[in-house]
Amino acid sequence: MNEFELLRNITIGQYLPTGSCLHRLDPRAKIVAAIFVVGAVTFTPSLVGNACLLVACLAIVWLGRIPLSYALRGLLPAVPLLVVLAVMQLLFFGRNYDPTSPVVFRWGWIVVTAAVLKLVVISAARFVELLLVTSVFTLSTKTTELTLGIESLLRPLRRLRVPAHELALVVTIAIRFVPTLALEAERLMKAQASRGGRLGASRWRLVTRVRQLLPILVPLFTFALRRGEELIVAMEARAYTGGEGRTSYTVLRSGPGDWAAVAAGALFLAAMLLAPFPV
Amino acid sequence: MTARDAAGDRGQPVSGGTVGRDAAGRAEPLIHVEDLWHTYMKGTPFAQTALRGVTVEIRAGEVVGIIGHTGSGKSTLMQYLNGLLRPARGRVRVAGHDLARPDVDIAAVRRFVGVVFQDPEDQVFEPLVGDDVAYGPRQLGCAPAELRERVRWGMDAVGLPFEAFKDRYTYTLSGGELRKTALAGVLAMRPQVLVLDEPTSGLDPGARRDLRERLQALRDRDGLTLVLVSHDMDEIARLSDRVYVLHAGAVVASGPPRDVFARADALAPYGLMPPHATQVCDRLRARGLAVRADALTIEEAGDAIAALLRGNR
Repeated sequence: MNEFELLRNITIGQYLPTGSCLHRLDPRAKIVAAIFVVGAVTFTPSLVGNACLLVACLAIVWLGRIPLSYALRGLLPAVPLLVVLAVMQLLFFGRNYDPTSPVVFRWGWIVVTAAVLKLVVISAARFVELLLVTSVFTLSTKTTELTLGIESLLRPLRRLRVPAHELALVVTIAIRFVPTLALEAERLMKAQASRGGRLGASRWRLVTRVRQLLPILVPLFTFALRRGEELIVAMEARAYTGGEGRTSYTVLRSGPGDWAAVAAGALFLAAMLLAPFPV
Repeated sequence: MTARDAAGDRGQPVSGGTVGRDAAGRAEPLIHVEDLWHTYMKGTPFAQTALRGVTVEIRAGEVVGIIGHTGSGKSTLMQYLNGLLRPARGRVRVAGHDLARPDVDIAAVRRFVGVVFQDPEDQVFEPLVGDDVAYGPRQLGCAPAELRERVRWGMDAVGLPFEAFKDRYTYTLSGGELRKTALAGVLAMRPQVLVLDEPTSGLDPGARRDLRERLQALRDRDGLTLVLVSHDMDEIARLSDRVYVLHAGAVVASGPPRDVFARADALAPYGLMPPHATQVCDRLRARGLAVRADALTIEEAGDAIAALLRGNR
């Protein structure tokens, strides 16, 4: 039992070196393939389709040789949110969402139709799928690779004045800060608990929880701003001037395997879009 | 807790002062850590063992120093002292509360033991100094008069005069004053044991001496038991009655600072050096000069060298 180990539950933004074939993929190929899979998750509105997606996501986890329990751990903090979402959908959609659908359950003003039930299941499934895909992606990609990949993919857009390098840098810094902020939040929670703060009293009483979070959130924001400023100074001090004329220590090279991954992603997306799922 | 335990002679944790006695008739320690193990990120690929069978006792009215290199496990151990971490392997008893029990009154443990983290100024969040110091006692549900009294006592104890500072904006304070605010916030909980992690790090020598004197006063005047976690040997040597040396998650030496620091060669493998004063005397002795070996502070070393010079004349 541990009320304070936050980092344990955050799988996004960590790198887990298992040396699998997913780890060795060219980051550009991995990004494109991941976008295809995310697209498939977003555009599949059927139960059978989502079952296929879940299987595909588990296969991706297996390919990355990442322990499933570890990949799923990121889900734990989101459980209350998911439950609230499901309850809202069940309570308030009623007949407004697809009025032709048959009524499954009725109690007072609460009306649950088959379409709403399906929606609830699919929303939850989508959340799990997205979490698995993004977790595997970040667990198998170093941040340097990610930056290079994003920058390289955005480079053609530079003619349209898209700041490719800067965007890539923003993404890297954002991801890099997730564990840092989690650690700091953990430290602050412990510090406030040590002087009588009552935190995490109940997972479900949201308003109380938010008010109890102020002693954590206020210093956390100050910390984030301060860290941001320190980072700026550190970059300035090392004469950072942006992407113009900048060379890189790692040079990306893609092989047949990388093209195969992209093709597999595209095929999967096409199959999910075109398949005539019954429900 | 069983009925016998609850009604037993373990002492009332909050009122304090009625701690029971062990078989040998000695007062039971306020905090007793026994064969404690800790693994971070257990069950993940990042698992790392930070404590390996640590046993530590903290008795009423003592100042105990816990020293060790970065990564020795001292910060982890510190988090067990007020139940921020709960033992999965080993035992931790705080004022009769067994921290391994799921039904332990953790709020009472945290009232009994106040912990001040390293760089505590980060935890100040209220706009006004007085409000921030009042955060803890307010959570306890103190009546306004008592709340005011606790805040006044906490602020006075750290040297922030209550009337002058209570309505100041926290963002206008200096680093040293912010640290005192955070310390006052913990003291306002009126703990019996105060645990401080690197309390003087980053302070200038004047502020350092001031804080040291205030800590001493807390012990001598208010009867607080202090636990200092630090890698600053001079600091620990000056204040502690007893020290524990931690290395790679295990206690490798313990005892009064004079005994522990007298064996400089025993500390060296753990990346630790005795206080500067002790080192100076050691080197003088190595050159065949008869100075005392157990000088801990600059003053003691100064006296020893002065005595030597007088003797030579």
